[in-house]
Amino acid sequence: MIELKNITKWVTNGGNRVFLLKDINLDINEGEFLSVMGPSGSGKSTLLNIIGMLDDADEGKYRFLGQPIHELKEKQRAQVYKQHIGFVFQAYHLIDELTVYENIETPLLYQNTKSSERKALVADMLDRFNIVGKKDLFPNQLSGGQQQLVGIARALIAKPKLLLADEPTGNLNSKQGEEIMAIFKKLNEEDGVTIVQVTHSEKNAAYGHRVINLLDGRINHHA
Amino acid sequence: MLKNYFLIGIRNIWRNKVFSAINIIGLSIGLACCMLIYLYTMDELSYDKFHANKENLYRITSTIVSPDGSKNETGITGMMPGPAFKNSIPEIESYVRIQNEGLTIRHNNEVYDQEAQYVDENFFRFFSFPLLSGSPTTVFNNLRSVVLSEELAIKYFGTRDAIGKTLELKFGEDFEPFEVAGVAKTTPQNSSLKIKVLLPMKFAESRNKDTEWINFYLNTFVALKPGSNITAVENKFQQVFQREAAEQLKVNAEKYGFKEKVSFGLQPLLDMHLSTRFQAMNGLYDASNPVYSYILSAIAILILLIACINFVNLTIGRSLKRSREIGIRKCVGGQRSQLIVQFLGESFIVSVIAFGFALVLVNLVLPYFNTLANKALSFSYLFNIKLVLGYALLLCVTAFLAGFYPALVLSGFNPVKTLYGRETYGGKNYLSKGMVVFQFTLSTFLIIAVITIYTQFNYLTRYDLGYNDKGVAHVSAGRMDKAKLDVLRTELMKHPGIEKVAADQGGGWITGARINNGTDITFDYKYIDETYLPLFEIPVIAGRNFSFPLDTANGVIVNERFVKKAGWKNPLDQEVDFFYHNRKMKVVGVIRDYHYASLNETIQPQLFTFHPSHSYNDVYLKISSGSLAGAQDHMMKTFKSFFPFRPYSIKFKEDENLAAYESEAKWKQIITMGAILTIVISSIGLLGLATIAAQKRTREIGIRKVLGASVYGIVRNLSLDFLKLVLVAALIAFPIAWWATNKWLENYPYRTEISWWIFVSAGMLVTLIALMTIGFQAYSAALAKPVTSLKAE
Repeated sequence: MIELKNITKWVTNGGNRVFLLKDINLDINEGEFLSVMGPSGSGKSTLLNIIGMLDDADEGKYRFLGQPIHELKEKQRAQVYKQHIGFVFQAYHLIDELTVYENIETPLLYQNTKSSERKALVADMLDRFNIVGKKDLFPNQLSGGQQQLVGIARALIAKPKLLLADEPTGNLNSKQGEEIMAIFKKLNEEDGVTIVQVTHSEKNAAYGHRVINLLDGRINHHA
Repeated sequence: MLKNYFLIGIRNIWRNKVFSAINIIGLSIGLACCMLIYLYTMDELSYDKFHANKENLYRITSTIVSPDGSKNETGITGMMPGPAFKNSIPEIESYVRIQNEGLTIRHNNEVYDQEAQYVDENFFRFFSFPLLSGSPTTVFNNLRSVVLSEELAIKYFGTRDAIGKTLELKFGEDFEPFEVAGVAKTTPQNSSLKIKVLLPMKFAESRNKDTEWINFYLNTFVALKPGSNITAVENKFQQVFQREAAEQLKVNAEKYGFKEKVSFGLQPLLDMHLSTRFQAMNGLYDASNPVYSYILSAIAILILLIACINFVNLTIGRSLKRSREIGIRKCVGGQRSQLIVQFLGESFIVSVIAFGFALVLVNLVLPYFNTLANKALSFSYLFNIKLVLGYALLLCVTAFLAGFYPALVLSGFNPVKTLYGRETYGGKNYLSKGMVVFQFTLSTFLIIAVITIYTQFNYLTRYDLGYNDKGVAHVSAGRMDKAKLDVLRTELMKHPGIEKVAADQGGGWITGARINNGTDITFDYKYIDETYLPLFEIPVIAGRNFSFPLDTANGVIVNERFVKKAGWKNPLDQEVDFFYHNRKMKVVGVIRDYHYASLNETIQPQLFTFHPSHSYNDVYLKISSGSLAGAQDHMMKTFKSFFPFRPYSIKFKEDENLAAYESEAKWKQIITMGAILTIVISSIGLLGLATIAAQKRTREIGIRKVLGASVYGIVRNLSLDFLKLVLVAALIAFPIAWWATNKWLENYPYRTEISWWIFVSAGMLVTLIALMTIGFQAYSAALAKPVTSLKAE
């Protein structure tokens, strides 16, 4: 599903190139559950953002479902990730001014889904995550775990093939964290959603089929 | 989608009440100003457009060029051009002459002063003024017929149905009965012609047939055949004039030394209202200068612009808060164009709300604005598709102006940076700073303008005119000779409060005479009596005042300017030759120059005579202070008994002098309002920016406090950034204001000096206002406990 070849990204700081990622080669198959680990600043999030097409690599090739992403224009790329990729963030990143219902609905609005269909899909999602009763609340009226559920619901509403999660349990207590990981596992096994998660926790990493370790922008094969 | 945008827009407005209030208040005021000016301009441009044949109606103009090259352009003519041109020029279909006349009307033994107009018989066919009763074709058939406006029919007869009723009009010493032959519907507001009392021109001609071409006192309108060549018609004017007036011109040149060149032209009726070259006067009303529209529009647009700047600055200033939302939206598939639409939508919502408030505001201030602008504007009166479209356009332009730039900037945020908090929002932000500078440049400029206008106004109204206008009452009495004046004087002075009584012929009169056996000199001419100069305390600096009957035959008094112009070393006993009356006069006295007219005019040569044949009209009474109330009754009784058929009204010379500066007084108010609004809107914008700055720097302030900074130190630190901008603004405003106020003052022959203190105080005022605005925010930020502010991060 995902082929990364020699992906390199740098920033220029005081005339020197500081590499965030260096020569990353990585293949991810459809249906895989991959955990990315590594210390702070090792390039985990950068890698995730490049996979999620939020960020460009400075060098290297990226094929997603056979399409050469590095050759696509901004608009075409947006079209690809809008359809196939969902994001979950450590800080949830819900829109404060929108209710739970409206937050979940937002991606559908950008895909011009019909109103009746939107209603059905959102209702379905609320039901699935057991948050029907919270649909008219605003994010600041929810606990962290509940907010992350909304975040996941939003990521899944458009039925993505790939779910990218950046430390999804980082702000949660262990019980909430376990619940979220259980949901991920179920999604991966039952719905066949490909998942790439960045995590600090060995325990959470273990939910994945495969773990890669990053260190200073390279994949560390010795870990 | 739109619903989603709308919801988030409304919720954003609601959650940020302070910033929303700043934006909405500013935009409401700006929009209200623009709406008012739009109404004003629409009214100005709508003048005289209701005439069916408007495209083909013109006024005949006259241009008189003196031998020295000076040009006198006027929109008036005499009796001759209308009929003469119509007879000889086939392009002219018809003409109408309109001559203003002050009438005295008697009805039910009451006497009224009434402005009236003589018009040619085809008046109601020529113009599109509907008659409520009477026929447009026959209304002036009778020599002694009169057409009244609706209001005057009600005033005199208590009903619109006044046909066949009689009014008595005074001609000479007699009243003659006139029959009401028509009642005209109330003239539209936006008409240069205002129907009051119309009399047939043929009646005026039956009393006094004027065949002089070189005579300018009435308006002549012509209807041209559609498609006529204007220049060709104007050329024919000169040919006809040269042919028909040849004899008169010859006589004038021989007898009076008339050497001026006269030519006639055409002015489209629709250009008349706003023409400064050929003004609508002499029985036409509301003549306006387009510069008023320009200046008012400029002020209104600038105020709106300043409000839009607030919106832009505050939206961008708070973008850090919105950046996360933008990142999320991009992450879940939002495209930049969709985000631009969203943000423009939000500025549109704010503008619509402001628009609603502005409509209310306009309705509230319209009466005040009407007095200020001397108009009777209302929504209903100008309501049409153009108004609706204009306002809709105004709304859209405002929303776009306010929203476009922030939408562009905000939608450009990179989601990775915003979501991971890596965006550094330091930046120099030159644009935002530049806009603050612009706002305060304008504020400073307007403050300087206001102070200058006030200073000039005070200068004009407190200037020593060279005579004493205090306690002088002015009554337009009616014709009287010296003998009657003396009797009147004796009668009036029976009241102890009346100290002196004097008279002149009333009104201004400019004429000429010959001096030094050859030079012609033009001067302001007054008939006065022997009390006139003492009453006004005008000093005689050489020779003496008139004395009776010594100087009545051939004595004149002149002013210093006259002496200077004549080049006399010894003015006394010099000869002034009124050659066209065959009368040689001698200078008996010279007075010190005084400002007989307003200070908008320079003092011209002046000449006074005191001849027994003079008829006086206006009476001046010097009333000792405190005795006016007691003297009023005596004055009225006396005047009523001497002039039973004259309406009696009393004015004070001081008020009349003040009235000359009415337009300055209006501008003073308008510019002051403009300045206040500009400053208020700029200041609330600055308040918003200071709030944002304080919020952004909460952590920094906390750290500084932990390190031992004082509250004063922090306030200074926070305020200085903004104060610098205000000072830069003041420095930019100074030279512009200096130039503009100088330019404005050049219009006044008597003007105040522009001194440094105006600039210093304007600069200090703006700084003070800014300091108070920022200081308040800075102070409360500095007072915050460091514990809370540091934890918040």
